[in-house]
Amino acid sequence: MGPAGGSGEHGSPQPATATPVRRILALGGHDFSSRPPDRAVSELLLRLAAERGGERPRICILPTASGDTSEQIGRFYAAFGERSCEPSDVSLFRLGRRPMALRDHLLDQDLIYVGGGSMVNLLAVWEAHDIASILSLAWRRGIVLAGQSAGAMCWFEAGVTKSSGKPLVAAGLGLLPGSLCVHYNNEPERRATYLEAVGEGMPSGYGLDDYAGLLWEGEDAPSALTARRGARAYRVCAREGTVAESPLPARFLPAPAPAALREDIAEFRRIKTMRRRAGWLG
Amino acid sequence: MAAKFGPLDNDGAPRRGHYWVMKTIPRQIVAFGGGGFSMESGNPLLDDYVLGLTEAERPRVCFLPSASGDADHYIVRFYRAFSAHRCEPSHISLFRREQGPSDLRRHLLSQDLIYVGGGSVISLLGVWRAHGIDAILREAWEAGVVLCGLSAGSLCWFAEAVTGFHGEPKRLEGLGLLPFSNCVHYERGSQRRDAYLNFLREGMRGGYAAEDGAALHFTGHELSRVVASRPEARGYRLDGSGQRVVEMRIATTFLGDRGSAPAAPLPEALSTAVPA
Repeated sequence: MGPAGGSGEHGSPQPATATPVRRILALGGHDFSSRPPDRAVSELLLRLAAERGGERPRICILPTASGDTSEQIGRFYAAFGERSCEPSDVSLFRLGRRPMALRDHLLDQDLIYVGGGSMVNLLAVWEAHDIASILSLAWRRGIVLAGQSAGAMCWFEAGVTKSSGKPLVAAGLGLLPGSLCVHYNNEPERRATYLEAVGEGMPSGYGLDDYAGLLWEGEDAPSALTARRGARAYRVCAREGTVAESPLPARFLPAPAPAALREDIAEFRRIKTMRRRAGWLG
Repeated sequence: MAAKFGPLDNDGAPRRGHYWVMKTIPRQIVAFGGGGFSMESGNPLLDDYVLGLTEAERPRVCFLPSASGDADHYIVRFYRAFSAHRCEPSHISLFRREQGPSDLRRHLLSQDLIYVGGGSVISLLGVWRAHGIDAILREAWEAGVVLCGLSAGSLCWFAEAVTGFHGEPKRLEGLGLLPFSNCVHYERGSQRRDAYLNFLREGMRGGYAAEDGAALHFTGHELSRVVASRPEARGYRLDGSGQRVVEMRIATTFLGDRGSAPAAPLPEALSTAVPA
């Protein structure tokens, strides 16, 4: 669809300096809670978005893999609603209540975040709505693509999903070469399936623990990141009949001070003190 | 020009009587324009009707909420409406396969009734294809499992459909169990209705529409009756004929009127509809 086909690569009409850096952040697993490692991940997402969009970047969640659950959408808004950004969601199952111009909205973002859930359903629904071509264009335009779990594996050629119950290999969009397996540390069954599949000829790739991530900035090899001590990213390759897992050196992402939270607590304490003084509380 | 229309015109479809002669299991689909527990809480007429078609004492009913993204609140409402004292209810969440029956085919083929919920028909068809549900549903239909649903759960059974869920009304292809087009929520003055009339003029195949509260009951490819949970709700047959669209209102049986004999799906009124 459209001029997306990669005029950038082949004698682009644009000057080379204007070619945006293609960025993808793949996360092994995290939540949008207020716990330190989750705050570190949210901070990183915000920083990546701000690098493109300035002070108030636009961040959009695609909660498709969850079936657009209010829970996933609510947690996203809880994490970004009070921050300096413009958060939004594209809920393909809820368009009846809120129709929107999908393509325009997505291409208007600085960062598109894809939530976890069923990788098979995610890709099937995207295909039905023709979202894949929009995301691929967004990527080429320098819009940061990010996601966790199914939302991380979808960018690769293949991943290991539990969309049908037990872990199985599933194809992704293939923006990134190779494969990815998420929740590497706490789902041994998924990891075993991955190692076996790579041994049998699935493209080699990466394993990501929860709170570990890989950041691609341009065509080079990704840099590994970790938001929790001990969480690791692995390079997983078939070598001489066996499959080797080698941990990658990772940069630690410190959790920012919970500024917003502290403000809330302070407010709560002020009210509580006032009430106590007024004799409302014991 | 020999304009073809009406439920009485069923080129290629076997006559109804043949089912009885050949003792073939009837293949049944009940397509709601809108209604049932999803839209008419407190009015169980359409849901009771589809349960009755199964002729089972305690019918096995499986809900497919795929078009809603398997929304929890929707699943809960299904279990409230189809409570265990009158049927054996179950559901399949394609977003949470680890929780439900592992063998989808076996589960679906063992049902008496499969009930498809509303929502995004485009997403519904995408997810079904990914899990092979489209082929299983055809098999279930051929095996005599009654298929029904409202809105997206009605559009999906037809060869072509009009969806108004995703903004501007669009044409799309459904599973094609019924070789017609379909439009739901076919209310006077609605954007969907105008869009459907336009699509028909542009060459979309003829088909059926239903207002909220009306349901089209097909046996094989033949419309055997239109039933309704509201006295005024109607079903329609539509056919393009050159630049004109012929709209036929079909005599409808109101299910709340116990004494009434089921009406044959005969023309009640005929008009040449002009898109707005």
